[in-house]
Amino acid sequence: MEVYLYIALFAPLVGSLFAALFTATPKKMFTGVIASLLIISAFVSSTILLMYILNGGEPVQVEMMTWMATGDLYIPFGFVVDQVSVTMMMVVTLVSSVVHVYSVGYMDHDKGFNRFFSYLSAFVFSMMVLVMSDNFAGLFIGWEGVGLCSWLLIGFWYHKESATWAANEAFIMNRIADLGMLIGLFLIYWNTGTLQYTEAFAAMPGLDTEILAWMGIFLFIGAMGKSAQFPLHTWLADAMEGPTPVSALIHAATMVTAGVYLVVRANPLFDLIPHVGLFIASLGAFVALFAASMALVNRDMKRIIAYSTLSQLGYMFVAAGLGAYWVALFHLMAHAFFKALLFLGAGNVMHAMHDELDPFKMGGLKKPMKWTFIMMTLASVALAGIYPLAGFFSKDLILEVAFVDHHYILYAVLLFTAGLTAFYSFRLVALIFHGEERYKLFGIHPHEAYKYMLIGMSPLLILAIIAGSFKMTYFEMVTALLPATEYHIHSHLTFWIMTIGTQLFVASSIVYAYKKYANNKITVPDGTSKMENSFAYKLLFNQYYIPYIYEEYLVKPYRELSTIFWEQIDLKIVDASVDGIAGIVYGTGEKTRAMQSGNLSTMLKWMVAGTVGLLSLAVVFGLAARYSDEIMAILSGLGV
Amino acid sequence: MEIGLNHYLALSAILFAIGLIGVMRRKNLLLLFLATEILLNSVNVAFAAISHYYGDLTGQMFAFFVIAIAASEVAVGLGLLIVWHKRHGNIDLDNMSTMRG
Amino acid sequence: MLDHILSILIFFPALAAILGFAIQKDSIRSYGIAVGAIEFSLSLLLWFMFDSNASGMQFMEELPLVPVFGINYILGVDGISLFIIILSTFFTLIGIASLGEMKNIKYMIITLLFLQMTMTGVFAALDAIVFYVFWELSLVPMLYIIGAWGGPLRIYASIKFFLYTFTGSLVMLVGMLFMAYFYYQASGVWSFALLDWYRLILPENLQLWLFAAFFVGFAIKVPMFPFHTWLPYAHGQAPTIGSVMLAAILLKMGTYAFVRFSLPLFPDASVFYMMPIAVLAIIMIIYTAMVAYAQKDIKQVVAYSSVSHMGVIILGTFALNVEGISGSVFLMLGHGVVAGALFFLVGVIYDRRHTKMMSEFGGLATVMPRYATIFGIMMMASVGLPLTINFVGEFLSFLGFYQQSHILTLIAGSGIVVGAIYMLAAFKKVFFGEVTKEENKNLPDLNKKELIALVPLLIISIWLGVYPKPVLGPINNSVESIVQLMHDKAITSEAKSRIPNLMKDVKSAGNSEEGAN
Repeated sequence: MEVYLYIALFAPLVGSLFAALFTATPKKMFTGVIASLLIISAFVSSTILLMYILNGGEPVQVEMMTWMATGDLYIPFGFVVDQVSVTMMMVVTLVSSVVHVYSVGYMDHDKGFNRFFSYLSAFVFSMMVLVMSDNFAGLFIGWEGVGLCSWLLIGFWYHKESATWAANEAFIMNRIADLGMLIGLFLIYWNTGTLQYTEAFAAMPGLDTEILAWMGIFLFIGAMGKSAQFPLHTWLADAMEGPTPVSALIHAATMVTAGVYLVVRANPLFDLIPHVGLFIASLGAFVALFAASMALVNRDMKRIIAYSTLSQLGYMFVAAGLGAYWVALFHLMAHAFFKALLFLGAGNVMHAMHDELDPFKMGGLKKPMKWTFIMMTLASVALAGIYPLAGFFSKDLILEVAFVDHHYILYAVLLFTAGLTAFYSFRLVALIFHGEERYKLFGIHPHEAYKYMLIGMSPLLILAIIAGSFKMTYFEMVTALLPATEYHIHSHLTFWIMTIGTQLFVASSIVYAYKKYANNKITVPDGTSKMENSFAYKLLFNQYYIPYIYEEYLVKPYRELSTIFWEQIDLKIVDASVDGIAGIVYGTGEKTRAMQSGNLSTMLKWMVAGTVGLLSLAVVFGLAARYSDEIMAILSGLGV
Repeated sequence: MEIGLNHYLALSAILFAIGLIGVMRRKNLLLLFLATEILLNSVNVAFAAISHYYGDLTGQMFAFFVIAIAASEVAVGLGLLIVWHKRHGNIDLDNMSTMRG
Repeated sequence: MLDHILSILIFFPALAAILGFAIQKDSIRSYGIAVGAIEFSLSLLLWFMFDSNASGMQFMEELPLVPVFGINYILGVDGISLFIIILSTFFTLIGIASLGEMKNIKYMIITLLFLQMTMTGVFAALDAIVFYVFWELSLVPMLYIIGAWGGPLRIYASIKFFLYTFTGSLVMLVGMLFMAYFYYQASGVWSFALLDWYRLILPENLQLWLFAAFFVGFAIKVPMFPFHTWLPYAHGQAPTIGSVMLAAILLKMGTYAFVRFSLPLFPDASVFYMMPIAVLAIIMIIYTAMVAYAQKDIKQVVAYSSVSHMGVIILGTFALNVEGISGSVFLMLGHGVVAGALFFLVGVIYDRRHTKMMSEFGGLATVMPRYATIFGIMMMASVGLPLTINFVGEFLSFLGFYQQSHILTLIAGSGIVVGAIYMLAAFKKVFFGEVTKEENKNLPDLNKKELIALVPLLIISIWLGVYPKPVLGPINNSVESIVQLMHDKAITSEAKSRIPNLMKDVKSAGNSEEGAN
């Protein structure tokens, strides 16, 4: 089994390095093909490992070599395939296989084709390190590695100012969170003496609750950065500057869920600190609503999906925070499938529309792009949580968790958000695919994507439909490691009322969205309509003015403060005082040079002055020595 | 009133002061030498007086040393003075500034 | 030969430098490379012969110089100094090999060889006076490099560099003389030997004064805030090779001296001054990172980033535990490699465009893809991404200091954020965007000579990031002995509790390993 572990881990790295060899050369189709094949081989290995674990195999654990060892610290490159990590491995390799195949078509005309695959495979490798590591330090390697790849891929079109800006924003915001994570690691090390998961978790129940709470908080700060939770969320929407396959893989399916994975992985810790868990859940519910509200009015197709991702991440954190780790992980998995599908569909649309992102400028695309229309609609249905698609099983479960745990406020927020989710998803679908063919105004002739891209997407489509049926198998497997809490509503009546009620609520949202946006009267908004001038619309459209606030009150002051530090303090105070001291010495020499005029009589005068000075000093000291007792007596009388 | 050590020391101090002022004020090299001689001799007076007071001959011996050194100094100094005078036609101190820093 | 390998390492380049005067101008480059290569292989031999499991000094040499005053020529290396010596010989080699066309190249090579002698001397000396002599001698070649090959302000910069550091080291010399005097009072014989001094336990108030005297010398060399202002001038005016040597090796003399002198000689004073120095280090980390962000000149960005990283090294050193000190020693190497490489990289565009202003560039990633790639990797190493050399050092330094103060580590840790800000901003300005300037459209990518310097540094910074053990192991052993010495020597109870006692830990670590097995 270890062979498969190594293949799953290193095949992406090999692919990345291979593609990297050709970065300086023009597009070569085979780099994409080989990179995809290597990722698929990683996927196959992961599947074999999954089968092995499903059949009750012991977790596979390997220790490759020592990484850092000094003092009492010992960190190896250790990897583990257990029930949790194999789930993540499946998600990561499956989605990345699809995205790789898709990208061969999507990046077809791009100059940086080879470079793209190098980055993309490097990302998969980092993600695999992240999920497979058996210690926190290894997790951190992957954590930073995916951050790096995300930086590279968001800024892939580096000649675009907005892309590089977004890349830097993402990296720096993640770094802020990584600092929290790092502090969390330090806390774990100094309190448990190790960074290995098993040993650290084993030592935790013996620790003070306060310390544990701090550990949990700092680790969660790390998770907040990667998973773009409020207030570190702004980078995710801006990250949509990257190529669409990247958005599908990194900013929907895998990297952003790393925060959820961290909380799930550290479940023994978070179990000990339920109050921190409640905070996580509350923040998650807040983000779910907050992000969904911003998606309602946005006019950028990819940003809408990005906000939807953010909102779904909030759902996952609610589940993880309330201790339903397996539910969180299940939703993570289901979400990865349908959200990646949604993004890839959006990629098709973008290709067809020549990188136009405003859905108001599309409309009626269901005719030229039938398959994309079907896929995106089904993905949206899954996202909305309609029976029997994947979203129903995973998302409804989170609602049940909140309900069963008597967190009715969270439940209400999530329920309301589910309605919003359905609305904005189908607003998007309606605007893109239904109604009048507004794109004709802009002289665009849309076409369906390559066939192999569509075939490549099909596994996601199938999984988005049927993933819910794996629920029990999954539950049995993963609860070997995670707390096996089942969330059943005791009264059957309540259960049915809730389920059907939710379904009806969501369905009515969908119908409303269709009614409002799938008609022929939609025009491209020009900023004159009543709605667009309302305060609420402006607030939502400008993302609650948060990016503006960050720019005005954090970025600009930082820049100004830096300049002040340099120009005012470093040059005018620190350096000037050094030069001042040197200047005093130099000036003294310059002034006293006149003494050495060579004029004998002046020099004699100075000599006499010196003699007198020395003599008087001698007299003073002589007297002081002679009358020292008296002086001391006087001084002590003065109370010195 | 008997003349004691203090009187000699006072004399020495006064002579020393006269010599110092001479050193400071005189611009003529010859007079400068004279002032220097006064300085040295003021010290000689002090040496001799203290030597007598303590009944120790070392001080008087030292006075002789000083006299000898003063004599040689004057000899060398006067020689240089004459050369300088031959070359420049004066012995004004203010003109002797070839060693200005 | 092995008995005198350190003396050979020190004086071979000096001898070769003197012979270099007789070499023809045409063949001086190959001569320099040959000497550098021999010196580098000698240092590798030193590593090969080095016993990684021993913690004490190895390859000791002793020769009386002024026996009456206990001044002896004593040399020796341990895990801490070994790798810095290797790093210095390595940089001399690639520095000479990558020298571009310049006037008086012969004298440049001779100066570099002379500099090599002083650097090895500093890191191998175990006698305070010998140490001091090499320490001061190292100023001379650097002064010459800046003054003779520097930019328009070179005279100001070189004089400032010289006087500033010289003033500091004079104070240090006074401290050394006092130290020897106290040793004389305690034992009745004069000695400047470091290993003798290690055995001397001083009362706390004396420690405080002596620590301060040594501190001035070391802190200016590092350079610590607020003594850092000579560095931007020196870097700004120095030629590429001068900046590389300065950043890679010469600055490390200060931090090395902290580990070699200040900590083991004055354990109580180290604990006493720990927090003030940590605060200074934090100011260094954050303040200079912000100053770096405000720079318009790419070389100044790298220069200030050097100061910022040196802050992390200082912080790790004053963690006073094995993790922190090992981390800081490792970071000395890491920063040497990374900062050296970054200065090389800045030199590359300076050679092509004769400007270092970031506003003059933009979009270079399109024009010079290889250059952009290497710069990017080195930038990420500088930012401290895991699996690069700097991460190991930074992680351990912060980890170590976390034991001493949680909140200060949290503040210092924001260095990883501000560090990313200035580096990414600079990278974006230079490499991203469209190529706007006509002059930049046809810039040639890296040539062979530049790759000779950069590729080895690239390999090292990734190799030691992935597998630091061969270097970290010997460092760890020597650091453990220093920490144990400090713990044993400490007088005050606070120092005893702050500095861990490893004797106890060794046992428990053994137990836990057995348990793990």
